[in-house]
Amino acid sequence: MSDTPLFQVENLHAGIEGEEILKGVDLTINRGEIHALMGPNGSGKSTLAYIVAGHPNYEVFEGRVLYKGENVLEMGADERAQLGMFLAFQYPTTIPGVSMANFLRLAVNSVRGEDDGEGGKKRIAPREFRRMLREKMQMLNIDESFATRYLNEGFSGGEKKRAEILQMAMLEPEFAIMDETVSGLDIDALRTVSEGVNKLYDGTMAMLLITHYQRLLNHIKPHYVHVMLEGRIVQSGGPELAEELEAKGYEQIRSELTPAG
Amino acid sequence: MEASVQEATKGFSRRAAEELSLRRGEPDWVREMRLSAWDTYEAIPMPKRTDEEWRRTDIRRVPIDDVVPFTELRDKAGSRQDLPARVLSALSTGVEDSGLNVQVDSSPVYTEVQPGISEQGVIFTDLQSALEHYPDLVRTYLFGAVPVDDNKFAALNAAFWSGGTFLYVPSGVEIEVPFRNVVYNETPGASVFSHTLVVAEDEASVVLVDHWSSAEGEDLSLSCNVIEVHVGEAAQVRYIQLQDWGRNMWSFNTQKAHCAQDAQVNFLNVALGGKFSRSNIAGILNGAGSLAEMLGIYFADENQHIDHLTRQEHVSPYATSDLLIKGALKDRSRTVYSGLIKVHPHAQRTDAYQSNRNLVLSRNARADTIPNLEIGANDVRCTHGATVSQVEEEYIFYLMSRGITRTEAIKLIVDGFFDEVIERVPVEEVQEFVREAIARKIGL
Ligand SMILES: Nc1ncnc2c1ncn2[C@@H]1O[C@H](COP(=O)(O)OP(=O)(O)OP(=O)(O)O)[C@@H](O)[C@H]1O
Ligand SMILES: [Mg+2]
Repeated sequence: MSDTPLFQVENLHAGIEGEEILKGVDLTINRGEIHALMGPNGSGKSTLAYIVAGHPNYEVFEGRVLYKGENVLEMGADERAQLGMFLAFQYPTTIPGVSMANFLRLAVNSVRGEDDGEGGKKRIAPREFRRMLREKMQMLNIDESFATRYLNEGFSGGEKKRAEILQMAMLEPEFAIMDETVSGLDIDALRTVSEGVNKLYDGTMAMLLITHYQRLLNHIKPHYVHVMLEGRIVQSGGPELAEELEAKGYEQIRSELTPAG
Repeated sequence: MEASVQEATKGFSRRAAEELSLRRGEPDWVREMRLSAWDTYEAIPMPKRTDEEWRRTDIRRVPIDDVVPFTELRDKAGSRQDLPARVLSALSTGVEDSGLNVQVDSSPVYTEVQPGISEQGVIFTDLQSALEHYPDLVRTYLFGAVPVDDNKFAALNAAFWSGGTFLYVPSGVEIEVPFRNVVYNETPGASVFSHTLVVAEDEASVVLVDHWSSAEGEDLSLSCNVIEVHVGEAAQVRYIQLQDWGRNMWSFNTQKAHCAQDAQVNFLNVALGGKFSRSNIAGILNGAGSLAEMLGIYFADENQHIDHLTRQEHVSPYATSDLLIKGALKDRSRTVYSGLIKVHPHAQRTDAYQSNRNLVLSRNARADTIPNLEIGANDVRCTHGATVSQVEEEYIFYLMSRGITRTEAIKLIVDGFFDEVIERVPVEEVQEFVREAIARKIGL
């Protein structure tokens, strides 16, 4: 074990179509830590998630994103996932004709990679894959028929979010960003999904939960909370910061930070 | 005995047609049919870009004068093991069949029918032998579905067909396990003029898988095939064509089904190979309540030109036609689809559907799609749709974000795109063949 942080964002300036959305973001996450990133609509939370995942439409103007000490900005989205990073999307894409099971088997084998001959992870046998898929689907209360359905096609909002967590459960990442994964879920679904996430959190993986509602944090307890406003992290603290935010609202934080005059 | 192109005369002529007939020892009526077909061929002008049906397909460079019209008859193979390696590899998947017929260049080389099939009155043999043994039966149907003057290349087939396949299923006989026909172009520079004739009598049911491939070679070859399918009352024929020619092939294919009352035909045309490929596919709904399912898949790469011309012809009322042809394009390839739904005045309550979808994987590839309706009845339902689209970058990113490489992601998307067609064809070996072909085309 080295003491390099698992995940680090350094002075990240980035945006889309020439427009700067992130204006110098710094963030460090160590193994085993759960962080929450909060902020009002349009503050840049999803932009950060997309850039970390490697979406080709975004541009980085300055700064670095390090994973296990390596700058991932040079890597394709597939390589980042193979290194153990995962993003549960706020708005998952629908892909017609691609069945959940086919896609997941290929994905699982891609992140596991070839047998390294040293006892590392290796390709999953079809039977083992089916067993694992059934088990994870049960855990997340997802109907078995989803395995043969096309990716996110005709899924309700809540079903899409659950399908994202299912993918995370199957891929077993070491670092996961969950972008508004439980927003828009009814209370039962919220409970199932957050219980699922809590089971996946094994104490060594790290998570970044993006949300603009404090509600989620009653179910998944973060170690640290950060507030993003207009492309910058303006405040960081412990779990109590989330409650403070809930009480004050983002407007007050904004005005407290902007010196009068 | 090895046939070679050098010793034979290149180009097509009346004399060549006559010589073919004499060498094969055909009866007079067959020879006369060939010669009259040659006259028809001569009477039809060579298609030009100014003809509506050929506007987007240029055949000025068709090697029609550079190929030999037919090669020497080869010895028959004694068993499957004696067949050319490439043919064997196409068969080596250990798949069951009800019968196998193999043609190499212009020679019928092998026919095998599984025990119990002939006993039911089913005939499966090469067309040349069928002429000899069942002249009346063949005469009744030959060029009945595809008239000699259907188009210039059908006429050329009528003058020069050789080898061929004849599949006859008597009334009420249902054979589930597919029959297989393999056509192999072993001699580059030779032509392949196969003729598939399928006759299903009333309430019969049969499946035929036609597989076309060739040896690698520089010299251009020409193929001019005709497929005729006669579907009797309440009979059902599934005809699957796997066109996997080498890149030296210019391929013209005319395929037509005639459907009697309550008959059903299911086509699947898979076009993968050839430098040039033109398929002219028609479902003719002569009988009330008949159904034509016309499925297709094409995947063009490099500088291939793949062209489909389809026709759903509703002659009688209460008939259904359902066409779905999907294509993918890579590199500098071009594809053309042009389809017509034609509803005759008496064909009330027609239900016709036509859809052509294209997925363009490279900026230099180009797909043209032209749907057409010609409706003479007033109480009908006709829908058509045509699209040309690119692979969504958003899809690729989503899949890559799960660790899947870009190429694998594209393959998943293309597989998914074709899945809608493949899953409608319940023949496992064919589904497998198509999936492997897609992987090969994508470069995996
Ligand atoms: N494709 C795009 N083109 C131009 N601007 C964009 C694009 N996507 C996002 N933006 C802008 O970037 C800013 C940040 O958006 P982002 O989606 O990161 O916010 P967010 O914090 O995730 O908001 P929410 O809480 O609503 O999910 C917004 O002003 C948005 O309008
Ligand atoms: Mg967002």
